[in-house]
Amino acid sequence: MTIALATRSAGDRSSALRARQRRRRLTVLAFLTPWILGVLIFFVYPLVDTVYLSFTRYDLLSPPQWIGLRNYEFAFTKDPQVRQAAWNTLWLVVILVPARMLFGLAVATLVVRLKAGLGVFRTVFYLPALVPPVAGVLAFVFLFNPATGPVNQILGALGLPQPLWFNDPALSKPSLVLLGLWGVGDLMIIFLASLLDVPREQYEAAALDGVNPWQRLRYVTLPSISPVLMFAAITGVIAALQYFTEAVVAASVASGQATTGGGNAALLGYPEGSTLTYAQWLYVMGFKNYYLGYASALAVVMFVVSLGVTLVLLRRSRSLVQGAEGTR
Amino acid sequence: MTTLTAPPSSAPARAAADRRDNLRARRRRRLGWIADHAVGIALAIVFLSPFVFIVLQSLMTSAQALTGDLWPRSWHPENYVEVFTRAPMLTYLRNTLLYAGLATLLMLVSSIPAAYALSRLQWRGRTAALVVVLMMMMLPPQVTQVPIYVMWTNLHLTGTLWPLILPNLLGDAFSIFLLRQFFLTIPQEYADAARVDGCSEWRVMTRVVLPMAKSGIAATAMFLFFYCWNDFYGPLLYTSENPDNWTISLGLASFRNLYQVQWNLTMAATILAMIPVLVVFFLAQKVFVEGITLTGVKG
Amino acid sequence: MNTTRGRRRALALTAAAVGLTLLATGCSSPGSTTTPPSSSAPAKLTGTVTFWHFFTDREAKAIQTAVDAFEAANPGVKVDVKSGQDDEKTIQAIAAGQPIDVVLSYSTDQIGKFCSTGAWQDLTPYVARDKIDVGQIPAVPRDYTQFDGKRCSMPALSDAYGLYYNKKMLADAGYSEPPKTLSELTAMAEKITQRDGAGAIKVAGFVPSFGFYENAAAHFAPSFGATWFKADGTSNIGSDPGWASMLTWQKQLVDFYGYDKLQRFTAGLGQEFSADNAFEKGKVAMIIDGEYRNAFIKAEAPSLDYGTAPFPTADDKTDLYGGGYVTGNVIGIGRGSQNPEAAWALIKFLSTDTATVVALSNGIKNIPTWTPALQSPDLDKDPTYSPFLDIFANAHSATTPTTASGKAYQDTLGAFAEKWQAGKVADLQAGLAQVDQQIDDQLSLGAAP
Repeated sequence: MTIALATRSAGDRSSALRARQRRRRLTVLAFLTPWILGVLIFFVYPLVDTVYLSFTRYDLLSPPQWIGLRNYEFAFTKDPQVRQAAWNTLWLVVILVPARMLFGLAVATLVVRLKAGLGVFRTVFYLPALVPPVAGVLAFVFLFNPATGPVNQILGALGLPQPLWFNDPALSKPSLVLLGLWGVGDLMIIFLASLLDVPREQYEAAALDGVNPWQRLRYVTLPSISPVLMFAAITGVIAALQYFTEAVVAASVASGQATTGGGNAALLGYPEGSTLTYAQWLYVMGFKNYYLGYASALAVVMFVVSLGVTLVLLRRSRSLVQGAEGTR
Repeated sequence: MTTLTAPPSSAPARAAADRRDNLRARRRRRLGWIADHAVGIALAIVFLSPFVFIVLQSLMTSAQALTGDLWPRSWHPENYVEVFTRAPMLTYLRNTLLYAGLATLLMLVSSIPAAYALSRLQWRGRTAALVVVLMMMMLPPQVTQVPIYVMWTNLHLTGTLWPLILPNLLGDAFSIFLLRQFFLTIPQEYADAARVDGCSEWRVMTRVVLPMAKSGIAATAMFLFFYCWNDFYGPLLYTSENPDNWTISLGLASFRNLYQVQWNLTMAATILAMIPVLVVFFLAQKVFVEGITLTGVKG
Repeated sequence: MNTTRGRRRALALTAAAVGLTLLATGCSSPGSTTTPPSSSAPAKLTGTVTFWHFFTDREAKAIQTAVDAFEAANPGVKVDVKSGQDDEKTIQAIAAGQPIDVVLSYSTDQIGKFCSTGAWQDLTPYVARDKIDVGQIPAVPRDYTQFDGKRCSMPALSDAYGLYYNKKMLADAGYSEPPKTLSELTAMAEKITQRDGAGAIKVAGFVPSFGFYENAAAHFAPSFGATWFKADGTSNIGSDPGWASMLTWQKQLVDFYGYDKLQRFTAGLGQEFSADNAFEKGKVAMIIDGEYRNAFIKAEAPSLDYGTAPFPTADDKTDLYGGGYVTGNVIGIGRGSQNPEAAWALIKFLSTDTATVVALSNGIKNIPTWTPALQSPDLDKDPTYSPFLDIFANAHSATTPTTASGKAYQDTLGAFAEKWQAGKVADLQAGLAQVDQQIDDQLSLGAAP
């Protein structure tokens, strides 16, 4: 890359401005070179490959055969399970992502105010995010076991109804949201880190102006942590679209077939397909049923949807981000 | 928080009112303190309960583990010893440290400059580059792994941890994005001042911006470190055929027979696997605290 | 501006070049040349054989013992064993061209794929040359280890499914014999079931829910003589009355309990593979399960007074009694094998050497797939285990067919059955016809263009 740039330098007019511009461009390039290589190898190459495979019949073991749009046609008109899987995933994007952000922010705000045992509190709230996923999900589902779990025993003692949680098709996704709230530590930490980075003088200035706590949150805290909020929203949406391991483990434990390594339950998306996610279906079709061409088509669709949502989020938050930069 | 508005009246009355206000403020602060900590403790208990479940399971007999019976009928701390005799936990630990440590180090080296260029340098195509960073996260790994696995096979690196470590040398999309967002929260003026002083961009980054973004960098590094620590599918795909290169996450899944898992040992190993990262986390928190003082002093 | 654009183009070209180089390396075809075996078996075997299997722990030790015996018999050969390998990962490794000599897999459903793509080498020439009597392999495993006349694998142990019943619970309800027909099973289940004052189930005679433990359409199918596919390869679920009969029987028993009551009951039962297993705990009097359950009962509930028998048949299919669902493990030579002769020798040793097969069966507690081993006096047998040997050898036993789409058809029926038992299907025949359509669509996606 440097060679290509050097050969182009002939014939350039040597004005000071131009030289500085060039130096700046070279700086940018130097800062970005490893990443550009990463884009080519770990993004462009797999993307081209995936798009190509999405137009083929490919079972991993024999060479791919071109079949045009048949995979897409099957996905949109015939696949019996993809619709439910897409719906479940959409549900998670709409509910899980905002719920986790709100809760993460609430916990972070609380932790900022805690004076005694600060380190212990932070560690405890972060702990669930540290537990290896299989063990964590298993523990969580066991606590919500309808008959033997302490959650229902407490509800029973209080004379409240005892739901079936992960075993009820209407409650299995809300239960997964609870699981997501339990593991909110990762969001809590980045919110906390950025809350602590809000310059103290801004709070002092706000206090001098006599603002109430709500106004302080709205006009001081949120704008200055908005880049991190946007980060949480975008990565949250991408992760929710790819939500997979937790749903599989929860379903297998709830159906009484817990194993290590996240094996699938006998019934996909137990109960009644209510936890079958798009990414899980993609995985099952690609690696259990060896429709890798079809799985690639599903991946391309997912990619396009992720990109669309992200671009909308970026556009929405641009004013926020630039506003934050502008105040400085 | 601080009450700075006082009623404008005669001096003695104002002093009395001040005292009253102070008293009220102090009482309110104390009540607030109690309320905050009460909520904190309640929440902590809820957050800890699944973890308590894991600890209790790790102390049971294999026959009691994973039954509806949540309290050990007899206590078996020797499970923690058995884990070591049954599996080379120390080798797993070394491999995991190697994977997580090197991956994090390489990620920082490659991703910090990229994130810096994406947030603190002005150039055309910056927004497009950011979108590319995000797009890198959007391809489901289950699909992209196929061509990449073939690539590593052709390089004869399967069976080792390198296919998991080396990509970080070329930047990690999640980390770049997170770092960029943290860099954005740092006021631009400091960097501008350094530039006016004639510092090179590299110096501006290393001397001015990075120290101020310490907490963000620490958080990003920790995330990748912990991700690698718990990564199961990566090591399964690349090193499962070579037990010498197994990580702890693979080791956790090894306490099983054809049909059954020895959950008591699995849970004991889970706890053992968590201790190092817990310690790392507990110590790394200080960096966040430093984060406040730094930005607080400047201003 | 011009220069900028020029530079950008140069950059793009460099990038494209890097990308293409990578693509080229990435797409190089895996080295796969199936060398035909020499006309006679080599007198002395040499070299290294890599052997990937999925067993762990105790079972892996049993495999290792057999491998040690093989190495002792063939001093020139070293076997490099990779235990605990996930099946999907192994297949990906073979696809990527890794030189794996011997593969032991549980993916019986995928044999069709392995054979037709050449991912597993055709063993037919070796079998013919070494005069292996495949007639000594019982019918069901003989069938599921080949595809379209190509024998690309040998069976390596199997599982058979039957009825486990709690003798004491049956006796308390006045029964001394296990049920032989499903209406008997239903009647006994209803009589044994106990509820509390509020109507919640305390003890169930038999839990019919799909998805509960080993309850699956595939496992019940032999009792109805239900077949999955027509001769032309399209789905037979709507046309074969066996399936409608199975679902009707199942729903009748679900309705006896009440679906909601049953859901609450099963949600509170212990994990299948734990000491809390509902059968071992005496909360369910009868279950369908594989022969391996015997080993768990011995370890977890040694005082349980139970018996085993073939699973009851549909009332109009009593001639099928004695059969059951059978499945197993398969062993073959990977496409990239560097040492196929030694690999074949190891496979032959593990699947047809009677003493080895008996030792493996005793060690892993699975059923041998070699008739002389089945008949060997050294095979561990006890009264609750022998019925499974009979089920295994029964002519009415069946397994699930291999298709171009693996077990997708079973998942499709499973999803329907779950909605059916919840009472969310109004018209059974229409629903089954739809299942047919879905399975056929899925198969056509995998068919040649």
